[in-house]
Amino acid sequence: MVISPVLSPRPNPPGPGMRALSTKTKTLAILNSSNAQTATAASTPGDPGRDLAEQMNDEVRKRFITGSKLGEGTYAIVYSGHYREDPSSLVAIKKIKVNQDYKDGIAMDAIREIKFLSELEHPNVIKLHAVFSTKDQNISLVLEHLPLGDLETLWKTHTISYTSADIKAWANMLAQAVWFCHENFILHRDIKGNNLLIAADGTVKLADFGLARSFADPGRIMTYNVITRFYRPPELLLGARHYGGGVDVWSMGVVIAELAIREWFLPSETDFQQLCIIYDVFGTPTEETWPGVSQFQFYTAPDNTPAPSLTLNSSAANGNPSQNTSQPGLKRAQPLGYWRNRFPLLGEDGIDLIRGMLTLDPLKRLSARAVLDHRYWTNAPRPTKKEDLPRQGGGEQKMGEDLKRRGGEVDTGRADKVARRLDFSAVRK
Amino acid sequence: MKLTEDDLYRASTQFKHWSFTPSQLAAQRQKTNIQASERVKAAVARQRAQRAKHFDTASASESERNGTPVPTDRQVDCLTVAEEKKLVDTFCEKAIDLGGFFKFPIEVTATGIQFLRRFYLFNSPMTYEPQTISRSAMFVANKTEGHHLTLEKYAAGFPKATTEQVLAPEYLIVQALRFNFDIRHPFRALKGGHLDMIEMARGNITPLPSNPEPALDIHSSMLKLPRKPNGPETNMTVNDLEKRITDAYSHASHILKTAALLTDAYFLYTPSQIWLSAHLLADEPLTLFYLSAKLPSSSPNYPKILATLRSCADLLSSHHSFSSPTTTPAEKQARDKKEKEEVQALIKKLRHCRDPDKMDLVKLNQAQKRDAVDAGGLEESKAKRRKLEREGYQKEADDFWGPELPRRENGAKAG
Repeated sequence: MVISPVLSPRPNPPGPGMRALSTKTKTLAILNSSNAQTATAASTPGDPGRDLAEQMNDEVRKRFITGSKLGEGTYAIVYSGHYREDPSSLVAIKKIKVNQDYKDGIAMDAIREIKFLSELEHPNVIKLHAVFSTKDQNISLVLEHLPLGDLETLWKTHTISYTSADIKAWANMLAQAVWFCHENFILHRDIKGNNLLIAADGTVKLADFGLARSFADPGRIMTYNVITRFYRPPELLLGARHYGGGVDVWSMGVVIAELAIREWFLPSETDFQQLCIIYDVFGTPTEETWPGVSQFQFYTAPDNTPAPSLTLNSSAANGNPSQNTSQPGLKRAQPLGYWRNRFPLLGEDGIDLIRGMLTLDPLKRLSARAVLDHRYWTNAPRPTKKEDLPRQGGGEQKMGEDLKRRGGEVDTGRADKVARRLDFSAVRK
Repeated sequence: MKLTEDDLYRASTQFKHWSFTPSQLAAQRQKTNIQASERVKAAVARQRAQRAKHFDTASASESERNGTPVPTDRQVDCLTVAEEKKLVDTFCEKAIDLGGFFKFPIEVTATGIQFLRRFYLFNSPMTYEPQTISRSAMFVANKTEGHHLTLEKYAAGFPKATTEQVLAPEYLIVQALRFNFDIRHPFRALKGGHLDMIEMARGNITPLPSNPEPALDIHSSMLKLPRKPNGPETNMTVNDLEKRITDAYSHASHILKTAALLTDAYFLYTPSQIWLSAHLLADEPLTLFYLSAKLPSSSPNYPKILATLRSCADLLSSHHSFSSPTTTPAEKQARDKKEKEEVQALIKKLRHCRDPDKMDLVKLNQAQKRDAVDAGGLEESKAKRRKLEREGYQKEADDFWGPELPRRENGAKAG
């Protein structure tokens, strides 16, 4: 890897896209200049000949036809659409709404999403075909058409039955997506079932990069106020200002667990409760199990009187996490029996994998790379082939619902779970 | 599956859309310059025609009496490609000061500067005034790099800028950037190379498979590296060597934060080539030693790479901000002074060849939104709401500023 810098590609002849564009702009420019006199004379004073950039944008815009509206949220409107040249080549067009309350110009969510999706090209990451702006200065993202719903609807739809091998196939596509993001030094920061959309051929694709960011330089602080609560790792709940790929790996672990149990794995009503729920399953972290944990902003030392361990263990044996969520006492981690009871669909290897992904101490948690190296993927059963995976008919409407959301929102109905917006006031301290 | 850094870089928009050969770069600038010049000339001609017409109707009898036509002004003296580039370079340099003033992290400033350079590949300073654009580009860079700053706070940092003025060119900018927001900087790579060299200095060396030399010998030849190319051998302790490596890092880092941002380096070279070239300028023997520890000098790629690094180093050292240990303060002062004079002359020249149609970006921005409404691009209700808003806004503006002035005066004032 160290050799590669100097072997880096030469400043190239620009790719085919660029070449195509530049010839088009050239003809346009020539057209314009030959007509310059008439064109400018005819136009209103505020509208002299168009800029090169404007012409390029128009070229992009003209390549697509916008169809019917699929969904509308506070952040965006999603339309179905297709390439003008080829009506069978479908896309979803996500038009970012101009937010009246946001006075600072183009929304950061939109910038982040465009920035990162433009750099990522992977079969398990939603493809960004193009971006263009319209005359009224709305930005539209032309996204891959993913009509078969998402992973969350899949486990919620009880008319669909699926097997261990199916879970393995879905989980693997997710793991590859996350690995690829991290390889590109991008943290997704909002991994959850309904951001994992399913393509017509059954491929799982990671979507919604509205909360993504690149890995920070050591020492730079980041916000802990990201990731939808059910999927938020303990270090963020404790107020970590420095973190890495581990946050996404935790979320990924929760998603796989949900697929396996077909219900929320770690549901809660508040951030504090979320921590309690996590401790119920994984035990209260201590300086021994998680060095440095007591230094976090929101860490509170547990009472040293341990919670009655008998009740804890017995409830664990029944496969129920303890109901005793508000006790700040020192909780013990659930034993292997709890996992075997609750996650029969994952098998021993799968349980080992998600426990590795759901390790409290982020430094001991598996990295995205290590997740892919786990024996779970290669041991029996073999993951189901994409074309044989169970389908659900989420349809275009569901895609519209999923794409219109703003990062951090869950649409499960309960209002208090909705929308962890980025809170920058904390960062700027 | 293993991804190399090259694979990753080749997938980047910086490589796909914003890397050029010198001739491609020159051709693009030429194209932009020609288009902008034509537009300025056409707009000025149109203005003069209007003025003449106005003059004719207002005092037709008078001009008939004198029998003289309205005097034709002389031809507009437009900026050349080189002059445009010099102006852009200057405003990039001012952007560094701007970043310093706001205490932005270096990647924010560096991204803002690259936005500015990319913007001016497709636009001319004659069309869009660099000061206005750099202000907005820097704001977009803040959002892009996730360094949040409210518009209000940012605009308040300028003596004469309103929030509206900062936002007005935002769409122009992101459009010219082709919505590519990600800029690959060489800063982290330099840091990585530096840490790698420090490890080598401490004797942690893995010889290349092709190199029969034991690690110990490589280490001892590292401790003897001459200070200058072809200089005499030295005899450094590990501490001396570490200090030397750190000095080289600081110097290279300075180059990356100045010359590398202010030249075409990002368009012409990859981040890895840029940091190695900066390091080459900072300490040539050390850099060459490092290179040969990573790639056998017998490799056919070695001379190619070295030639690329040297040409990149030439570009970096050609910038007036560059100073090597051999530059005397007097020399540097003279270089800076000459630079300043040239720039002042250019700014003066620009005043006479600005595109009169693009003077007021705030108004233009509003007009553009209005055109979209006229074109029926919006549903009726939305259009109606916009119209009401616009009327309200205009009324407010008229109450404050008085009604709109005739175009000519408007242009002259803004010039």
